[in-house]
Amino acid sequence: MVFNRVYAALTVLAVTGALPAATFAQAVPIRIPAAVTAAADADPSDPFFDDTVLHDLRLTINPKDWQSLRDHFLDNTPYLCYWQADSQPLLHNVQIRSRGTGSRSGVKPGLRVDFDYYAADQRFLGLKSVILRNNTQDPSGMRERLSMEMFRRMGLKAEREAHARLFINDVYFGLYTIVESIDKTWLQKNFGENDGHLYEYKFDNATPNPYNFGYLGADGKLYAPLPFKPQTLELDPQGEVLERLFWTANVAGDAVWRTSIEEFLDMKKFIRHLAIENFLAEEDGLTGDYGPNNFYFYRFLNTNKYTFLPWDKSNTFWESASYSILRNVEDGAESKRNRLVLRALNEPDLRALWWSTLLECADSIMQPATATSTTPWLLSEVTRIAAQIQAANSADPSREVYTNANWDESVRFLTAWAQTRSDNVRAQVAADKAKHGVK
Amino acid sequence: MLIGVCLAALIGAAEPRPDSATALSYEQAPAKDKQAKTDQAAKPAKKAKKKKVAKETEASPDEPTDPEADPEKTGVRFEWKQHPSMRIGDIFRIDLEAKLQEDGHWSYGVVKGMNTWEFHRNRFGVKGYLTKHVEYEVEHEFTEKELTEKDILVGITPSSQWKDVYVNFTYVKNAQVQIGKFKVPFGLDELTGVTHNDFVYRSLGAVYLAPARDIGAQVHGSIWKHGFGYAAGVFQHDGDNARSKKIQGGDATFAARVTADVFRKLTSSPLGLAEVGLSYALSALSDDSFQPNGLRGRTVMTQDNFYDNVFVKGHRRRWGADLDWSAGPGSLRAEYTSVSDDRLGQGIGSEDLPDARGRSWYVSGTWVLTGEDKKRPLKVAQPFAQGGIGAIELAARFERLGFDSAAGNEQPFRNSRAETIFPTADHALTLGVNWTLNRFAKFQFNGIREQLSDSQRNPVANGAAFWSRVIRLQFVL
Repeated sequence: MVFNRVYAALTVLAVTGALPAATFAQAVPIRIPAAVTAAADADPSDPFFDDTVLHDLRLTINPKDWQSLRDHFLDNTPYLCYWQADSQPLLHNVQIRSRGTGSRSGVKPGLRVDFDYYAADQRFLGLKSVILRNNTQDPSGMRERLSMEMFRRMGLKAEREAHARLFINDVYFGLYTIVESIDKTWLQKNFGENDGHLYEYKFDNATPNPYNFGYLGADGKLYAPLPFKPQTLELDPQGEVLERLFWTANVAGDAVWRTSIEEFLDMKKFIRHLAIENFLAEEDGLTGDYGPNNFYFYRFLNTNKYTFLPWDKSNTFWESASYSILRNVEDGAESKRNRLVLRALNEPDLRALWWSTLLECADSIMQPATATSTTPWLLSEVTRIAAQIQAANSADPSREVYTNANWDESVRFLTAWAQTRSDNVRAQVAADKAKHGVK
Repeated sequence: MLIGVCLAALIGAAEPRPDSATALSYEQAPAKDKQAKTDQAAKPAKKAKKKKVAKETEASPDEPTDPEADPEKTGVRFEWKQHPSMRIGDIFRIDLEAKLQEDGHWSYGVVKGMNTWEFHRNRFGVKGYLTKHVEYEVEHEFTEKELTEKDILVGITPSSQWKDVYVNFTYVKNAQVQIGKFKVPFGLDELTGVTHNDFVYRSLGAVYLAPARDIGAQVHGSIWKHGFGYAAGVFQHDGDNARSKKIQGGDATFAARVTADVFRKLTSSPLGLAEVGLSYALSALSDDSFQPNGLRGRTVMTQDNFYDNVFVKGHRRRWGADLDWSAGPGSLRAEYTSVSDDRLGQGIGSEDLPDARGRSWYVSGTWVLTGEDKKRPLKVAQPFAQGGIGAIELAARFERLGFDSAAGNEQPFRNSRAETIFPTADHALTLGVNWTLNRFAKFQFNGIREQLSDSQRNPVANGAAFWSRVIRLQFVL
């Protein structure tokens, strides 16, 4: 009786968050209901990434600084701003700067917002930073968000995203996509650790022959700090482990390759990541037209095992629903083909896994969006997001390239793509299987 | 070849034989004319009533190029005392000079952008006179880092590699006119020649608050038998120390410095030589740059930013006071510097902000164990490998460089438009040993302990103090 009362009281405290779930678990040696744990461990940033609403973000910044940021958009100069998201309290002492590679713009700058730059302990809903993507390379403004949804739907870790109207000094400036930063906070949330080596892959725009995951040589400095730019443990980039990975990927003999490469990569996860990108017709990813690009790379603590993390999927849904799943694998410039992908797809078990994952993607997007709906999931998402952002997109005063007509056309394209991509991929998989003598 | 010359210098082989007909040595220059000990090369101001005769036979690294100190000779002749020198009668002289410094340094771990061994300075120049009343100097630094393509893309301009480039007109000894690029007359430590410092690195205040070199003109000299020295000038900007790849620096600058010999009436007393100095500089400050134009604070050797510069506009006011005392083998120096920058219209809503302030001080002392009198540079009684071990000197300095602002209504922040700037400071203790082998070569060993007041800007975890160590081999020709 007494136990029940104590248990009930502790449960209430746990549900309301007054008692941490871990403490509750230690105090009460009874399995905690999942709902209780979920409530206690709820991510405070969840409302910020709630993609069922269009958010409002307000930046207050010295007008001269804002003009400077736009004038010098190629520079990473930090600027002070005040930050307010929806009805959250105003946050002073926040930094913004221009960001991006191909998407950098002085008309509609891509922005990185750092909450901890001026004060190491400062957080916004538990976040150290957030990205505001300008979508200057995507007429629909939806491809990135749809792609990350797809990754998560397929069970891989990917950034949370939502759309927002950005106001600069109380004047509507433009429609942006809020993108969760891949940083130590993200690693802790998704992997339960953040003390490993995190790299951002830096694509070299200047060279005609960017890195293709080939073996560059025995010096670890050939791999890090570039093209694998350390985001954690910057002073100890450990390029030598990357060197061993790419030696194995390229030089190890066929007999040992399959087992050796597993020391560095969970190949099943890698193939899954690859297949999702191929399904999404990613033109600037692992098998991109310009060479491998757009990912983060994380090596787990005290291991040699890395994992790929998807990043910047604004060039997905490319060209048409018949986009080849083998583009830049069996065609395209030889020098730009991803050496790791080429070798992995030569392994029968990995090729089979790749086929099955592509088919899984094809099935997944065609599943009903809800239990009560018959509309396929991807089509439903395209329709839902388009309705959510249409007015804000139409009123966006900072659009650099695309018109409302472009946007309408891109939504029609995505709608058709969502309806026809699955059958197209199934046919391509069947053809590739036949080519390899597999039924 | 350079290495060979250096090695030869280390063992004294390159040291030329004393010439009985030599120029006035540094030690025999008007003893209280401190300006002559500085890089800005203010020259002895006393008007010679009769031809000076060099009494000492050895040159020193500060061998003056005063035409009146040269013995009367005719024709073209080449000499090599401290510097290789060519002279034509008493109307032209050109000395070749070289200042080479190789550093080895270690600190708290892997320091971004710092190599263990570094060819730190590589300066070559010429110095001399053209007619009796026009002196000149041209010096160039050859090791400054070049800009990257990205730097150029974002509009960063290269810093000048020219150091001293000036002419000095001595028609009026007590009011000489110097025109060109040279050190703005401000601060004792900053004005001490780069090869004459008691420590490997100048004090933080000298590096980050004092102006250093700029293009301009000044009038300088001394009166009352060198008991009172002065320099006052106008400059295009406020010196190299206020600028960087990203910092534009101040604009038009007026600077003045006066010095006075405290024990002038007691020259034979054991109190030695003591000089006090006062400096003042006023600069215009613009906010034309898209990046903050304030001063910054960095750690001594590792150059980690512990204070990021803020947006400023209006005027920059500097003032400083210093004491330089040497007696026998010992010396004591102390200096205080204060900088105040206006921040007109620099708030996030373009409102005025309280002044940004930087303040520094240091106290340093040296003691020559081998007994020589303290000079800058030290004159070795028994050079290394010539029957002696050279001169060995102990040195210690304690200093502070801090930044803040007058208090505003907001809580203190670290951002570039903070109404109240978060106070931050670096306390540094430097312990050193200087081993001067001969007039050409010197080793310096320094251990530097730093403690930052703001743990969030500390390069070492948990705000801990950290040690840096540096060894420098200096070769001066």
